[in-house]
Amino acid sequence: MTDRSAPEKHGISRRQFVQASTMAGFAAFLAACGTKGTGGSTAPSEAAATTAPSVTGVPSASAAASATPKPSPSTVLNFANWPLYIDTDAKVNTKHKTLEDFTAKYGTKVEYKEVINDNDAFFGTIKPVLEQGQDTGWDLMVLTDWMAGRVIRLGWAEAMDLGNMPNKVANLKDVYLNVDFDPTNDHHAPWQSGMTGLGFDSAKTGDLTSLAVLWDPKYKGKTDYLTEMRDAVGLTLLKLGKDPSQATRADCDAAIAEIKTAVDGGIVRAFKGNDYAVDLVKGDVILAMAWSGDIVQKQLEKASLKFVVADEGGMLWTDNLMIPKGAQHKYTAELFIDFYYTPAIAAQVEAYVNYICPIKGAQEVLLAAQPDIANNPLIFPTDATLAKLKIFKSLTEADETYFNTQFQAVSGA
Amino acid sequence: MATAVTAAATPDLRPHRSILDRAGRFVHKNLLYLYTGFAVLYLLLPVAVMALFSFNDPIGKSNIAWQGFTIKYWLDPFGAPGLQDAVVTSLEVAFLSTIIATILGTLIALALVRYKFRGSSTTNILIFLPMATPEIVLGASLLTLFVAIGLQRDFLTILIAHIMFNISYVVVTVRARLSGFDRRLEEAAMDLGATELVTFWKVTFPLILPGVMAAALLAFSLSIDDFVITNFTSGHTVTFPMYIYGANRIGVPVQVNVIGTAIFLTAVGFVAITTLVGRRNSS
Amino acid sequence: MRSTRQRFSFLVPYLLLAPGLLWLAIFYIYPGFQMFLTSFWTGTLETGFALTWNVDTYGKSLTQFGPQFLRSITYAGAATVLTFLISFPLAYTIAFKGGRYKNVLLFLVIAPFFTSFLLRTLSWALILGDDGIVLGPLKSIGLVGDDFRLLATPLAVVSGITYNFLAFMTLPIYVSLEKVDKRLVEAAEDLYAGPWRPGGAIWGAVVGFLIGALLALAFGYEPIVLGPLGAVAGALIGWFLISQAFLRVTLPLALPGVFAGTLLTFIPAAGDYVNAELLGNPSTRMIGNVIQGRFLTLNDYPTAAALSFLLMAGILIAVAVYARLLGTEELTAA
Repeated sequence: MTDRSAPEKHGISRRQFVQASTMAGFAAFLAACGTKGTGGSTAPSEAAATTAPSVTGVPSASAAASATPKPSPSTVLNFANWPLYIDTDAKVNTKHKTLEDFTAKYGTKVEYKEVINDNDAFFGTIKPVLEQGQDTGWDLMVLTDWMAGRVIRLGWAEAMDLGNMPNKVANLKDVYLNVDFDPTNDHHAPWQSGMTGLGFDSAKTGDLTSLAVLWDPKYKGKTDYLTEMRDAVGLTLLKLGKDPSQATRADCDAAIAEIKTAVDGGIVRAFKGNDYAVDLVKGDVILAMAWSGDIVQKQLEKASLKFVVADEGGMLWTDNLMIPKGAQHKYTAELFIDFYYTPAIAAQVEAYVNYICPIKGAQEVLLAAQPDIANNPLIFPTDATLAKLKIFKSLTEADETYFNTQFQAVSGA
Repeated sequence: MATAVTAAATPDLRPHRSILDRAGRFVHKNLLYLYTGFAVLYLLLPVAVMALFSFNDPIGKSNIAWQGFTIKYWLDPFGAPGLQDAVVTSLEVAFLSTIIATILGTLIALALVRYKFRGSSTTNILIFLPMATPEIVLGASLLTLFVAIGLQRDFLTILIAHIMFNISYVVVTVRARLSGFDRRLEEAAMDLGATELVTFWKVTFPLILPGVMAAALLAFSLSIDDFVITNFTSGHTVTFPMYIYGANRIGVPVQVNVIGTAIFLTAVGFVAITTLVGRRNSS
Repeated sequence: MRSTRQRFSFLVPYLLLAPGLLWLAIFYIYPGFQMFLTSFWTGTLETGFALTWNVDTYGKSLTQFGPQFLRSITYAGAATVLTFLISFPLAYTIAFKGGRYKNVLLFLVIAPFFTSFLLRTLSWALILGDDGIVLGPLKSIGLVGDDFRLLATPLAVVSGITYNFLAFMTLPIYVSLEKVDKRLVEAAEDLYAGPWRPGGAIWGAVVGFLIGALLALAFGYEPIVLGPLGAVAGALIGWFLISQAFLRVTLPLALPGVFAGTLLTFIPAAGDYVNAELLGNPSTRMIGNVIQGRFLTLNDYPTAAALSFLLMAGILIAVAVYARLLGTEELTAA
């Protein structure tokens, strides 16, 4: 948890290693004799903050919460995020000003770790822990909306005490309110959003406006699709004139059949995660299903790259801050979220990250300091663009399995 | 010495060779070197590209198009956020897991090749199983175990996992060296009064050392490059491969190329220097 | 002294095994057994899983993912053959001609694998890109069509696996060749009177043709493309490099290394997923990709576990057959 390069840590590691391996062996033996327990042997360690535990699913009454005496912020906050998803000092790359500002204000050191590369993979690492009712060791984590929905359904997200978070209540843009997976708005807090649309090399393709190009034999073998089911199927549904926010199993079947024609026809070169952006820069593909923030970044390297929300529409997704069940420093986590929701701080993060900022007032802050960012329609999309975006329907577990199984089959696995 | 003996004996034993024959031998000799040269080139080509791009000065965040020469990233190799911790962790895990797994695996290989005992065939099968198990299954099942026994995921759990998956590779490699091992050498030593331990250190160990070294190198390369299993067992700790996979989302920083190149050069340079020094000392 | 040593000598192998096997028992067998039980679960993530001893998962997995199993075996097999073809001469040269620089050469072989897999693969992707330094010139002189590509093909996947397992083939072969007494080889060369020309060339051509044709099949090309190429290469190698002495002395002595190297390559390669993910296309997915998807994306742990155990069973059977064919039973059953 502390700096691994600290010299005294080495000795401890080795000592711990011997002790722990002996214990581990014994414990494994015991575990082998016993039955698979459902309840964790250790109760989640009580939060350092003394907030009254809020009941999952019940929105905290702000008035009641603010009446209780304020606990003090903890000394550390364990924050799991995606790589390069926070402002980083241009000269001293290990510095994140937003985190330092938080430390300056509350005295809390933020243990910021870029351990999330993939929603599914990260979920795989916290699932066995939360299942046993143990603490994941994280106070904050960032998950995409569909995964956030799953974690909430499983009861693995703490309800935030909105009484501690006036900025979050006031400054979250209205589009993000009352989503179906969190109608009470207290289990998640949007960190960044992004659009999914067409990314292409306009020098090779000219201007594109329709999703139909993703099926155009002209770009055979030069088109990447996204591995993210909701993006690939979502765009296909839009192409078919269907609404991804109302997707049914029949719609899914239709979309999969449509994707299959592109796969069988050799139009799709590969299904890719963020790697499609590298393919675009190298010229291995000239067209791809793309995320807005990636293209903003890659335009620096290849000016002819363009991102377009097609006439048929595009997808809107959000990555959200969440507090995992049993988090040690829940109160401090709430303080951090609220801190992030101040326009100046959100603007500071936005200037570096370049996805879409979900916080009111950030654009105004940036207009003065960095107008090129504030006026970039990919970072602060116009209302007309926003109106074309759809959020993929929150799927039930059974539907999600159905959609994913179909999509895995068409993408080769 | 051996060559001198054969050379002297050659005229008597070998039949007369034509010029064609000699030409054939010349091609024989050089074809092999040519082939080897190509193989080495093939091995080093991606490393060369990686090294080249460690001197690139990219405009954006990714490092895939040549933009201009700079040495600034070599002067600031840990300038990328979090990179230093990740590299240090990975090197520590790699060294420790290599040492421990090599010892454990070599002992197993010794037992399997040199002794007949009950359960040896079961052990033989068991050794192949971890290699055949998909990484995700290894990682996920280990994580479940660590959670069940309440072991915090940290440096220690990464180390445990790496030792576990390295053992099999060590056993298989050392065994390749041990098979056909002449036990009479050991017996001779013991008949001359050496104890088991002395015999091992003076006779057995020097004979299997190249195998042990090769196994250690393989284990090191497996450990320093593992992503899937580490991702499950690392908790808050970020290793070098995890760092790269994460950074790849936006663009791998040039410093990663610098570190990769530096690790390569250190390994090769270390051996080159010891070889040169060894030669000077022996001559 | 001697009697005590003999009395307890039966304990020695167990003492040698104990630490390593204990480690594997706790950190592999026990969790692996739990995973085995997982394959008999039914349920879903949100409704919960229960151990119902449901065996249907195995049947379904095998029928549904037959093509991916077959593809994994094919790709892993092709990659193993290729690594062998590249590694053997390399290991031979290092062991017999490396002299003092053996260790330096050995490190040149292994050190690329101390860098990151992803970096190496990104480098390959740069080299082999559609308009990269290899294909760019070929396309501009019209030797290959504009649509031709190396990336996102079966060839790319197999090449990726081949490259990444080279050290796992080279080192074991080197280790067993290095202990071969050179005087023995020289004596054999004298005895069998040097190169084995016509016979070697004919056998080389036949074997080369077969390998070429099989690789072409694995890559999805017409066998006629690579077959003749393999035959020519095989004939050349057979004519110039393979001697009676090599076949009768060196190769048999190298067999333990070849055996170890092929296993170290084939076994992990059959379960590999990352090469297919980064270098492949939708029709090159291997069983490792399916397992990955079932486990992480679909949270279908029973199917993922069942697929893994089917894969492991398949690999063990393949290893047993291979060991028998190669006549190295003593290596697997000491």
